[in-house]
Amino acid sequence: MEATTFLPIGMGLIVIGASLGIGKFTAAAAESIARQPEAADKITGAVNLPLFLLEGVAILAEVFTFLMLIL
Amino acid sequence: MSVVEAGNASQSVMEQVGPNIIHHVSNSDISHPILGLPTFFGIDFSITKHVFMLWVVAFLVAITIIIPIRKFLSSGRPTPSGWMNAIEAIVQFIRDSIAKPNVGPKWVMTWTPLLLTLFFFILFANGIGMVPIFDVLGLFNRFVMGVPASDTHNFINNILHGGVTATGNFNVTAALATITFFSIMAAGTMAHGFINHWKNLAPHGLAWPVYIILIPIELMGLIVKPFALTMRLAANMTGGHIALLALLSLMAIFGEMFHSTLAGVGVAFISLPMAAAISGLEIIVVLVQAYVFTLLTSVFIGMAINVHH
Repeated sequence: MEATTFLPIGMGLIVIGASLGIGKFTAAAAESIARQPEAADKITGAVNLPLFLLEGVAILAEVFTFLMLIL
Repeated sequence: MSVVEAGNASQSVMEQVGPNIIHHVSNSDISHPILGLPTFFGIDFSITKHVFMLWVVAFLVAITIIIPIRKFLSSGRPTPSGWMNAIEAIVQFIRDSIAKPNVGPKWVMTWTPLLLTLFFFILFANGIGMVPIFDVLGLFNRFVMGVPASDTHNFINNILHGGVTATGNFNVTAALATITFFSIMAAGTMAHGFINHWKNLAPHGLAWPVYIILIPIELMGLIVKPFALTMRLAANMTGGHIALLALLSLMAIFGEMFHSTLAGVGVAFISLPMAAAISGLEIIVVLVQAYVFTLLTSVFIGMAINVHH
């Protein structure tokens, strides 16, 4: 069995991890905005940066998987 | 292997789809540059598709951003009008909501020009990837002018090799991230002096065994920051196009699988709306990635200037 056989499973794991992270993030942000609507701008600003960093990790994993697939 | 060879060989559709997708998102391969130039010092200076697109982007930024701003500044009018209003809104947004909170009020005017340059360049390079101008040219060339795909001396056939998104190339984004890397150094040096900038990398006043772990981690973080910027931008721009092309390729794949044109046409009713939806998503991604690159650059510059420990 080749190593590339398990790559789709790896892709699936990446998607599960990233979506769980982003989902928790958004849920927390929505909840806190609902509690304090006047702080919505500050909350959005604070959520933005970690969200992009998290997305970057997911994208990195995806790129490495893809490179393993084609190389 | 280029796609022209793949298309000429008697391969099944399934084997052509993968190389075709890669061909549409990667740079034009070394055997099909737009303008072949000799090799100097072991580096191939041929003008490839992405180099050409970088020139197009630079030209577009010059005529849509730089020239109107120069004209406005030299006209001496206090209020902008028309197109300048739009530019001013973006400039003000980047200065007030990206640069000022991160870099701090003292250094805003030093670093906003760099952030604006990065933002406009990445925005235009990303956006031009969504315009299928070369594919339309290729269709026109093939079906109106009647030039066969095998004609290698035809200019339009030559420029069809490779994708149009220059920021989807890791080399381009690595160059942009290198600018970020050196501007982080410059920002720290300008704010604290050369020696203090390097001292600021690790927090002061900890027990000495902590530094054995901390200093390698901080040095690694120095490299990881631009590396993550490189990968994020290039992978986002490549990934969206791959998804788009994969959805469109479903038509060919289904048509081949069931040996009927009807199956392909039937799948088109699902895959075309989905491709249109992904194109809509891509337009958001184009804006968001330009914003993210600018934001992260300003955050990293701010981290070098406003040291918290």
